[in-house]
Parts: sequence; C-alpha cells; structure tokens
Amino acid sequence: MSSDHVILEMRSITKEFPGVKALSDVSITVNRGEIHAICGENGAGKSTLMKVLSGVYPFGTYTGDIIYQGRNVHFKDIRSSEEAGIVIIHQELALIPELSITENIFLGNEPTKWGAIDWITAKKTALELLARVGLRDDPDTLIKNIGVGKQQLVEIAKALNKSVKVLILDEPTAALNESDSMHLLDLIRGLKGKGISSIMISHKLNEIEQVADSITIIRDGKTIETLNVVADGVNEDRIIRGMVGRSLESRFPDRTPHIGEVFFEVRDWTVQHPQVAERMVVKGSSLTVRKGEIVGIAGLMGAGRTELAMSIFGRSYGNFLSGHIYKDGKEIVLKSVADAIDHGLAYVSEDRKALGLNLLDDVKRSIVSAKLAKISSGPVVNDSKEFGIAEEYRKSLRIKTPSVNAGVGKLSGGNQQKVVLAKWMFTDPDLLILDEPTRGIDVGAKYEIYGIIQQLAEQGKGVILISSELPELLGLADRIYTVFEGAITDCIPAESADPETLMKSMTSARKKVQSI
Amino acid sequence: MSEDTSTRTSALGDLKKIFGSGSSNLRQFGILFSLIAIILLFQYLTDGLTLSSGNLINLVSQYSYILILAIGMVMVIIAGHIDLSVGSVAAFTGIVVATAMRDWNMPWPLAILLGLVVGMLIGAWQGAWVAYVGVPAFIVTLAGMLIFRGGNQVIGNANTVPVPDGFTIIGSGYLPEVGPNTGYNNLTLLLGLVIVLAVIFSEWRARRVQKIMGSTPAPLWVSIVKVVLLCSVIVYASILFAGGRVGTSFPVSGIILGVLVLFYAFVTRNTIFGRHVYAVGGNKLAAELSGVKSRRVNFLVMMNMSILASLAGMIFVARSVASGPQDGLSWELDAIAAVFIGGAAVSGGIGTVIGSIIGGLVMAVLNNGLQLLGVGSDWVQIIKGMVLLVAVGVDVWNKSQGRPSIIGLLTRKKKTAEFPAEPPLVVPDSGTPESARPQSTLPN
Amino acid sequence: MRKILATTAIAAVALMALSGCSTRTETAGGDGAAAGFAEDSVIGVALPSKTSENWVLAGGLFEDGLEEAGYKGDVQYAGASTTVKDQQDQISAMVTNGAKVIIIGAADGGQLATQVQSARDAGAIVIAYDRLILNTEAVDYYVAYDNFNVGELQGQALLDGLATKGDGPYNIELFSGSSDDANSAVFFGGAMSVLQPKIDDGTLVVASGQTDIKQTATAGWKAENAQSRMDALLTSTYSDKTLDGVLSPNDTLARAIITSVKAAGKDIPIVTGQDSEVESVKSIMAGEQYSTINKDTRVLVAQAIDMVNVLQKGDTPEVNDTESYDNGKIVVPAYLLPPVIVTKDNAADAYANDPTLAPLTE
Repeated sequence: MSSDHVILEMRSITKEFPGVKALSDVSITVNRGEIHAICGENGAGKSTLMKVLSGVYPFGTYTGDIIYQGRNVHFKDIRSSEEAGIVIIHQELALIPELSITENIFLGNEPTKWGAIDWITAKKTALELLARVGLRDDPDTLIKNIGVGKQQLVEIAKALNKSVKVLILDEPTAALNESDSMHLLDLIRGLKGKGISSIMISHKLNEIEQVADSITIIRDGKTIETLNVVADGVNEDRIIRGMVGRSLESRFPDRTPHIGEVFFEVRDWTVQHPQVAERMVVKGSSLTVRKGEIVGIAGLMGAGRTELAMSIFGRSYGNFLSGHIYKDGKEIVLKSVADAIDHGLAYVSEDRKALGLNLLDDVKRSIVSAKLAKISSGPVVNDSKEFGIAEEYRKSLRIKTPSVNAGVGKLSGGNQQKVVLAKWMFTDPDLLILDEPTRGIDVGAKYEIYGIIQQLAEQGKGVILISSELPELLGLADRIYTVFEGAITDCIPAESADPETLMKSMTSARKKVQSI
Repeated sequence: MSEDTSTRTSALGDLKKIFGSGSSNLRQFGILFSLIAIILLFQYLTDGLTLSSGNLINLVSQYSYILILAIGMVMVIIAGHIDLSVGSVAAFTGIVVATAMRDWNMPWPLAILLGLVVGMLIGAWQGAWVAYVGVPAFIVTLAGMLIFRGGNQVIGNANTVPVPDGFTIIGSGYLPEVGPNTGYNNLTLLLGLVIVLAVIFSEWRARRVQKIMGSTPAPLWVSIVKVVLLCSVIVYASILFAGGRVGTSFPVSGIILGVLVLFYAFVTRNTIFGRHVYAVGGNKLAAELSGVKSRRVNFLVMMNMSILASLAGMIFVARSVASGPQDGLSWELDAIAAVFIGGAAVSGGIGTVIGSIIGGLVMAVLNNGLQLLGVGSDWVQIIKGMVLLVAVGVDVWNKSQGRPSIIGLLTRKKKTAEFPAEPPLVVPDSGTPESARPQSTLPN
Repeated sequence: MRKILATTAIAAVALMALSGCSTRTETAGGDGAAAGFAEDSVIGVALPSKTSENWVLAGGLFEDGLEEAGYKGDVQYAGASTTVKDQQDQISAMVTNGAKVIIIGAADGGQLATQVQSARDAGAIVIAYDRLILNTEAVDYYVAYDNFNVGELQGQALLDGLATKGDGPYNIELFSGSSDDANSAVFFGGAMSVLQPKIDDGTLVVASGQTDIKQTATAGWKAENAQSRMDALLTSTYSDKTLDGVLSPNDTLARAIITSVKAAGKDIPIVTGQDSEVESVKSIMAGEQYSTINKDTRVLVAQAIDMVNVLQKGDTPEVNDTESYDNGKIVVPAYLLPPVIVTKDNAADAYANDPTLAPLTE
C-alpha cells in the first residue's frame, strides 16, 4: 500500500562493531520527494546508519532489511548503491582540489568516445548540471579556487549526474556561512520539487526545523521516534528533548566534590585558524578552574572546543593572537607543549590513535613518554624504573594487557585510553584537560574512566572535561561552559544545568559570559 | 598428555627466548637466521674460503663504512625520513680531508677532526632544511647528493688525491702485534676475550634486572645455551681474525664500527633522545603533544647521519689510500637496503641498529661470496636486488597475514607438526605473541 | 654465573683445540717470480666496467687465452656505477682465492694501493694492464700501448686531415679523457706536443680558447658529457664560424662529438679517435670520423698472457721501458707496444687480421 509514496525503508537495522552495538533495531521510512532529517547526539549512530544505507558497510555486515523502491536491496559497496540512485555527500567533501569542476563531476564516471574521454559531452552536461544547482562558474575552474559553499553545490551536481533519487547529506552546512547555507537549503527544497528525496544529518536544529518534512531521532543506536514536522508541530525544543531525554541515574560513580580556590584562569583567549588567517577558531574566551573541580565544556562538533584546549596546551593548535593564562595567581606563558607540561598541564586528546599514542610502542614506553626525564639519569632512561612505574599504573588503572611489554596498538579502545590517562597522570599535572575521554569506549570502561577522573579531582587536581555527550557532562562536571562558534556562550553550575538549556546555549550565540 | 604438551611447548617458547623476547627481537632472529644460512651456503660453495681468516678480515674492512652508514640511516628512517646524500657527503668530506693533508700539510689526526666538522656542518645545513624549513628529506638530500658530488669534483678537479700513510690506519690498519709469539695476533684474542666476558656479564645482569622487575626470566639453561652459543661464535671468530697473515688482524675500521654499533644501539634503546626518535617516526603529532621537540629531533638525526657519512668517507679514503671522484657512488642505496632488510619500516617508527647491521652483513656476505665464486658484478646486482625485494616482501606479506616473519612461520609450522593435537598455537606464557606488531602500523 | 663462566671456558678451549695450530703465514714476499707457480694456478683479471668495447673484448680474450694456457682464469668486471669499490673488493676476492698473478685494468689507478699491497703480501704478482696503478710499491709490471705516442699520432692525424681541407688557419676544439684516468693527460700531452707549435704559429685556432686539460676533460669518459660539451661549444662559439677539426681522445667520444655536430646541422669536421671500435670503423669508412688508433687488444692481451707464462716458469718477463712510468712510489718496469694510426686509406691493411673489423673495410 505504501509502496507508492515510500521510496526507502530501512527495517530493524542492527550493526555491531567488536564490543559495541552501534545500531540496534533502527528503522526509518523515507517518502518520495521529502526531506527527512536524522537527529541525534554525536555518536548516536546517525553516520553508521547512513554508511549501512550507502553500502560502505556492505550487505552481510549488518542485519535487517533495506527496501528501496519496493525491492529488498543488497548493496555490496558504494558503487552499487550509487547505481541504484542513492548518493551520499560526506561532511568531508570528496572533491579533488587540483581538478576542474567538470573533471570532478565526472570523476569515476567519465563519458567516453572511442575509449577516450569525451570532454565536449562532459562539459555540455556539466553546464546543464551547474545550471540546475544554480552555480554560474566556468566548469573549467579548479575546485581549489571556489569556496566551500560552491564546492558543496558541485558535490550535488555530481550526485545529480548519477541520476540520484535519494540524496544523503551529512552535515551539509557545517562549514558554510549564513548565505551559502540558505542557498543550499533552497536548492534541497528545489530538488524535493523534482521528486528527489533527501536525507539530511545536521546539528543545526533551526535549519532542520525550517526545511525538514519529517524527523527521525536516534539515541544510543536506537530509533526513539519519528516526527512529522507539520503534524506534530515540531520545534527546536521538541527535538532536543528527543535527543537527550534519557535517564541519567547510576551511570556515574558517586562523588562529593571538595572544591578549593581558583588556581587556573584563561582570559580573553583568541586564536586564529592555522591556515585561514581571517577565521577565528577561538574568540575572546575566558574560563576558570578551581582545585578539585571538574569543569565541563559543552559544544557541538566544530564549535572550537578542541581548538580552545589545544591552543591553551602550549599553543599546539592554530596561531595564538591574544590572551593570558594565570596559574596560582601568576601569569604564565606557554609557548610549547614542553612549557605546558613543565607548568603542570596535561592534555588527553580526543583522537587517541592519531594524537594520543604511538601505536608502534609498547605499554610501558607509552606510559612514561611524556616525562622521560622523571625516570632518567642524565640522558639515559632507566629500564627498571620504567617497568616498575608501568606496572604500578597497570594495576591501579586496571589496564587489561598481557604485560606492559605488549604493544598499545593491540589493546582495546578503553585500555588504550587508560594508557593515555596513565601517561598524563605520570607527569603529575595540576590541571588535566580531557578531550572526549570516553569516545569509542564501551560502557564498562567508561564507568572506570569516570572513576579515574573523579579520583583525580579528589586529589585536588583541576579537570577540564570536554565532551559531546551531555549526560556525561551533567553526570561528572561541577560547572559547565558552553561553546558556540569559538566563543564561550554560557557558564552553568551543574545543579541548575539540564540538557535543554545546555543544547540551547550550544546552538546559539546568546550571551557573552565572563567567568564566574 | 595435555600437561606434557604444555611443558614441551613452553620449553620451545623458552628456546625462543635465546633470541630475546618480543616481536622486534624475533624479527631480528629472522634476519640473523638468513645471515647464518647465507654464510653456511657460501662456506660450502667456496670450499671454506668464506670463513677463512683473510676473507673475514677483508669482509670487515670492505663493509665497515657501509655498515657505519647503516647505523645513521636506520635512525633517519626510524624518524620517518631518508638520506640520499650520504655517498656524496662521504666523497666530499674525503676530498676535503685529502686536500687539506696534501696542500696544507695538516697532520692526519687533525684532518680526521676536520672531516667530522665538515660532516657536522653539512648535516646542520641539511637538517635545518628538513627540520626548520620543512622541505622533505628526500628532496633536501637529493639536492645534497648533487651539491656535494659536484663539490667533490670542484675541489679535486675530478682527480684522485692521495693521502699520507698515517691517515690510512683508519681504513687499512690492523690491531698491532704485541706480546709473545703465540701464533695468533694477541690483541685480537684479547679483544675476543673481553667481548666474551661482556656477553656473560650482560646476560647475568639482564637476568638480575628481570628478577628485580618481578618478571620470570627464562630458565637458567636457556641463558647458558645462549651464552655458550654466542661465546663460541665470538671465540671462533677471534681465532679466525687473529690467525690471518702476519701483519693483518682485526681491522681498525672494524673496531670503529664496533664502538659505533654499541654506542648507537645504546642511544636508540636507552636514552631519551632515542625514545624521541622512535616517537617522532611512529606518530609525530602524538610525540609533539607529549612535549617532544620533533624539529630538534629531526635536525639532530639528519646531522648525525652526515657526521657518520663523513666518517665512512674518510675510512674509505684511508682504505683506498686516495680520495677519488667516484667515492661513495651508490652507497646510499647499500645503506638503505641494509636498513630495510634489517626490518625497518618505510613509514618510520620501526627499526633497530642491530637489525640494520645484520641486514648490512647479509648484503656484504652475499656480495663477497658471489665475488669469491667469480660471479660478475652485473649478476651480483641482480641477485642483491632480488634479495632486497624478497626480504622486505616476505616481511610485508607476513605482517599483512598477522605473522611476523619467515622464522615465525617456520617455528609455527614446526610446532603444529610436533603437536598436532594442540589447538592454541601461541601459549600465553611463552611471552612471544607472534602478531605482536599491530596490523596497521600507521596512524590513520 | 659461575656455571656460565665454566661452560664458556670449556667451549673456548675446545674450539681452540679444534681449530688446531695456527695457519698463520709469514709474508710470502713479492719475489714470487723466482719461484714460479703451478700450471693450473688461479690468474685474476680485474677490469673496469663494460662501458667500452675494448674492455669487453679484452675480458673475452683473457678468459679464452688463460684457459687455453691451462690456468684458472678469474675475470671480473666492476659494476658501472660503483667501479672503484667493486674493483677493490674483486681484487681482495682474487687474493682470497689464491691468485698467483693479478692483471688489473684499473678503474681508478690511484685507489687500489691497499688491495695490490695485500696481493703482494699474499705472494701474488701484480701486472697493471693498460692503466698504471699509482702510489704503491706493489706493482710488478706494466703492460700497455705507448700512450704518449698515441697522443702524438692523434695530433699528427688531425693535422694531416686538416691539410686535406685546404689552407689554414683552421678552427679546432680539443677534448681530453676523464681526469681520474692517468692516461688522459698522457694522450693529451702527446697530442699537444704536436699541436701546440701550430697553435702558436696561428695555423690552428682554438676558437673557444679552451686549451687547458681541466677545461677539455670528459668526466668518466662518458659520451654524454662530451656531447653536451660539444653542444655548448657549438652554441657559444660556432654560430657564425666553421669548425674544422676536433681532437678527440677516443672513438666513443669522437662519435658523440660527431652526433652533436650533426644535430646542430653543421658540416662534420676532422675528428680523431682511438680504440678502433666497430662503430667508429664504420664511421671512418663512411667518411665521417677521420681517424682512429689501432691498439689491437689481441696483441696487448697476448702480451700480458705471455708475461704470465714467463712468470709461471719462474723467469723474469721482458720489459722495454724502465724509466717513464713513475707511479709516485717507484718506477714501474713497463712493456710498451707501438700503436698504429688508422684512416680510411690504410684501414684494410690495419685490420686485415681482425675478424670483426676486416669485413667492414671492404
């Protein structure tokens, strides 16, 4: 009965990774010619669902059915889903900067004549496609010479060339400015008129409210609800409630905070993007940390949380423009990571594998790597001290490894994270900045890491906790700063914080707060 | 039955500990095994000439400078770079030193110092481009290869410049004859004895440290077998070296090499700087976020390479009794090949000094053996090329299969053959999980 | 610990015992000539890389000739890119193999002192073939063509050739060989002994002004280097002048020079050569290259093998020059063979005995 207006239905999709159930019994129905938004917190499973749909995770690696145009389909790779008319446009654009617009549109799909590329047809088609997406640039222009907004349009032109029926857009406006975003959203609306369905993943709830016809909310890998925007009278608050509304009890160890005085302060911190000089990734931000306090930083992806943290940590990100750091009442200047470590700062990166660990190393070498001088006499590293210290941390943090001589690359995510924590605890810092410390970690290990964080605070250390998971912040932090577009928008004590107010401050530049 | 197999398996595991535990040691054992196999093969093919006194002495003095380059090169490669200029830097230093001694009558010890300073300056130049300007080492050293080759020919007018006799000691000198006539070179025998004692001491110390650390060392018999094996080799070798023609013995260049190997093996394994080299090569970003000054590390590694290259160049000049325009041609390739045969990874972060030396010796014995057999240099090149490809190919293939090396494969097969009923091939307590290396060694 | 020590000590003693008495030999002395050696001894021949036809031919002749005489010939070429090091290692290997005589066509005569010394110490006799080995006492004989004479003949051939072009003055250019080859300077000196007077009296004009051996050198005897230098000369100097003659030290370079001139669209000048390479003989017969030198490799190899035969019997080989070849340490006794100049006119005569070249001259 529904096969007429339903173009795509995903039924009871379950996808497991080793140790993690990323999707559990997720279902979604997309109608012909509608814009269907998928909402959820970071890590809720949105991207995984789209990867299942587009064949990145081929048939057989998940359970459940995909019914597309009335038929049960089995995509074995991206190509087969594209041939069927399902095209995904990733957040990271898949364009080659050194090639022209035309070349990019036809990449992997070049029209040929006698075995050679038929550039005349290609250019003619490219012009038509560009007209359809409202792009008036010369198709010979190199991609690197047009802005991100236009690049996004080229991606869509590329999709149209593949006679797309379902267009999947992953955070399409994340990198665009206001007017480019409006243009793009208009275009998506226009496509809808031509019978093309769009599935849109976005954090910008106001945009979703504007363009979406229906919304599916996913949380913790499960479908929570599907809303019809008009019929259910959906607004931002309603979406937020769906996204975060879960019970928070007993996921966090008990703790009675013993908070001392302010010992660390950042004032008017402003940092430039490392490549794009006019872009400020951190704008006049100020914050304070007290002894024994866990300070949360909430913000959506790309809001500037990591940039703020890394730039404080010895200017390891971006170009420092202005700002001051005070520790124990005195101003300190941290020009390098080594300076920061010497002044008692530690930074646990959000990207454990790329930035936190040398995966070729073994556990014991990793643990001591940030402060080798502590176990060395002169330039010579003392092996037995190293072993002893590694053993200590292995026992106290319960790192599950056959021995401290094992390679960290073989450990599970949670145990790798414990090694990273051990590495920074070994430097005996006064302030730990933890950037997404529980990302990609299973529930049991999460609980243990929460315990470690609380212990550190108990020892009188200051902790800055950056997290995309609001419950985590609400459960652990004593105070939460919200960040939006590089600026701190609010500072909310844990007692008075709830997901809705946080989400509001995270999605709009409401007020400029000074640290309290 | 099951108890029986488990003890026997762990005995096998213990046996493996003779070659040390952990993946890198096993990898080295693989190359070492190949080296022994090649030596035995040529020993047979050349009717015993390969392990004759004269030939061993030749082998050491012919390859000491390539092996010295390999020491520096492995550090460069661990840090994730490459140095193509070593041959040219060697040739440039050689001609500078030779000319200084000829034209300025510079005394030779001073000239050696001058050579090292020249190497240091060249290294600082290249290191600055790599570390502080950020030009890839491949490009910087390709440029260096041209610049310093040309420099050699400018200074020497593309001519051969002879060096005085005193200088030649570092390339063609031997341990002198002292003490009573024993029929052997006494100093070489003494050297062998010192090494034997050092081996015994270090094994004894290693066991003690293991005990202090609370880990269970391999059974005593394993240590004894290991020490006896090693010492027999050393004693046999020193007898051979000491028994060469009168006037020859263990070459001075071999002693220089030995000292450098010990020093750099220690630096890479046991010092903060060594750790930082591995850290930068393994994951530069993570290293920087751990407070490692990666630019300084890169600078020092490149500089060190050029210093060693200049030393190698001087040893070659001393051996050739003259510096010529062709000195150092394609040395970089020999050194790089040695390092990769020795188990280093192109992407950086992996490799050892000892492994590279063994890799270099594989090439050296191969070259020497083929020359003794009268195989032409054209075929020698083809064979060396194939060996390089196969050695690294087998390594890569095994890694992608989750196995460490040919040897891992051999011992594994042997195990299954011996104990067909035993399901787990790797026993936890053997301490040698064979897939000890992560499948993907690259971040991202 | 004690156990380990004890075991090691036992093992050491056992090995000592096993290896038996020392096989250590005293220096055999360089005077092996008096004693002679077995008829089936190893005779080593170390030649530079196969970049010239002559070395390839010589290698073949040595292999056949030594085998015929009953020796075990061990003929080795150095690799093209690593000649010096390869040759050093090959000579060491020959010593290890117990060669009684080692005939060396040096890649770089200045860098073999250590190896020939160890050859002498091991009792081998060293014969420098075609190229002298420098800075060592351990060279016993030198056998070669008279290279100064080669240069003189080249110079004279250039003059003769120019004379056929009508009256002077003639524009000429000079090329010499690789500066790491001691012979280069000898060739050039011989040629200049003939040409210099004519340059001085204005009959010959070196239009580029490059008359110094450093300016005229051709690194590594490589054709590409000669060609690029000629290209440069034609562009810089001969855009509005005629080039009448070129002194080229050998055939490979001569052909490279002719290629360059042809590419520039100029008339081919008088070009000298040396070595009687097949392509050059063809070129001479076709009227392009003017002359070459016939230093018949067969004769030279035969002479070297003769020396080996004499040494084998324990006699002293004949030499005809004990004054000219000072290698920096000693004057090496030499046997010099006379070279022959070949032009189109006498080619048939000169190559009558050469199975490869004779058909080309018909």
